[in-house]
Amino acid sequence: MAEAFMAYPELRNPFEAKPIHPEGSATVLYQGKSITLSNLGRGDGLLIDPADLAQINGFILKAEGACFEDLCIPMNDDVLIEQDGKQWFSLTAFAALLGQPFVVDHEAGVWSFAEIPAKRENMMLNAQAPDLEITDRKGSVIRMADLKGKKALIVTWSSW
Amino acid sequence: MPVWQRIYEEINDPNFVIICAAEDTGGEAAAGPIFDAANPTYIQVVDEDHLISSAFNFVNVPSAAWIDETGRIVRIDEGTYSMIHSFGEGEQAISFGTDVYEPALKDWVAKGADSEHVQSVETVSSNIRAHSSDQQKADAAFRLGNLFRMHGQEAKADQYWAMARTLNPDSVNFIRQNLTLTEEGSAGETFREMMGEYVSAGRDYYRPLDIKL
Repeated sequence: MAEAFMAYPELRNPFEAKPIHPEGSATVLYQGKSITLSNLGRGDGLLIDPADLAQINGFILKAEGACFEDLCIPMNDDVLIEQDGKQWFSLTAFAALLGQPFVVDHEAGVWSFAEIPAKRENMMLNAQAPDLEITDRKGSVIRMADLKGKKALIVTWSSW
Repeated sequence: MPVWQRIYEEINDPNFVIICAAEDTGGEAAAGPIFDAANPTYIQVVDEDHLISSAFNFVNVPSAAWIDETGRIVRIDEGTYSMIHSFGEGEQAISFGTDVYEPALKDWVAKGADSEHVQSVETVSSNIRAHSSDQQKADAAFRLGNLFRMHGQEAKADQYWAMARTLNPDSVNFIRQNLTLTEEGSAGETFREMMGEYVSAGRDYYRPLDIKL
């Protein structure tokens, strides 16, 4: 066996076990955000309060559908669901409509969503910088859109 | 990191920014001291969820994108070495990196669209990796694993990191990030075997560095 190099086994599991969210809640991961939802509908999919949609992925429900900037996705009965006189928004059915991959751990109640393909088309086809929001070490939020007017080198590295 | 700081200071252009992102689930504990030692004035990010690699479809580090004033990517996904690194002596000697990236970068910052190192939309688009649905799902799985790891749930963390690697076997980041957290480390026999298989399968982890000075 070669001498260990760039080995940080002490960082494998440095955290104490703790619940991800309160009992009965769900957690949604998307674009680096972790959002805890306590108002949930019943069923295998993830049924959320439509009022929570915008904080998750920026989409807003309008008459023409769920809209983000110029993109509007018409709704159907799989996405907008009535239960006990209340309307719910199926985030998982919406993901299917968008072709948005996701992974779910039902036991823990955590849904992790990949990027929405339509949001990536401008990069894939027109070489435009992706919609991205990151937080720097000082706690400042950096958005790709905020860099306009400047040249930017985005460079990755790692400690490993 | 100190080399990027030197380059940043030498360029010294208020309309040029460097965003340097550590793709590191180890977070500040792993990347912070390395950043601090360089005394950087550029923007530093500790990207525990590998969001930047995911956004640009990078599969290895160091990788980069040049973005112009309009938001257009003008180069992407090359082995972004700021210098040639050499280790060892004699038959054991290895070196990697390049000495052409730095002058090309400086040329672009000075000349903008007139720089010969600016690539067309067509070239950049063809250099951006077209990730499949499974590869995008891998990013979601990796973040899910990372969430479990941060909540002390190691078995589930391992489960979803393994899923990420299966769904996106092109990601050297996933391979090495996981190996880093083992006793063997990210450059041991397991890594060399994996990279041997990776290269044998014809997969590339950087686009060719097409810079002529």
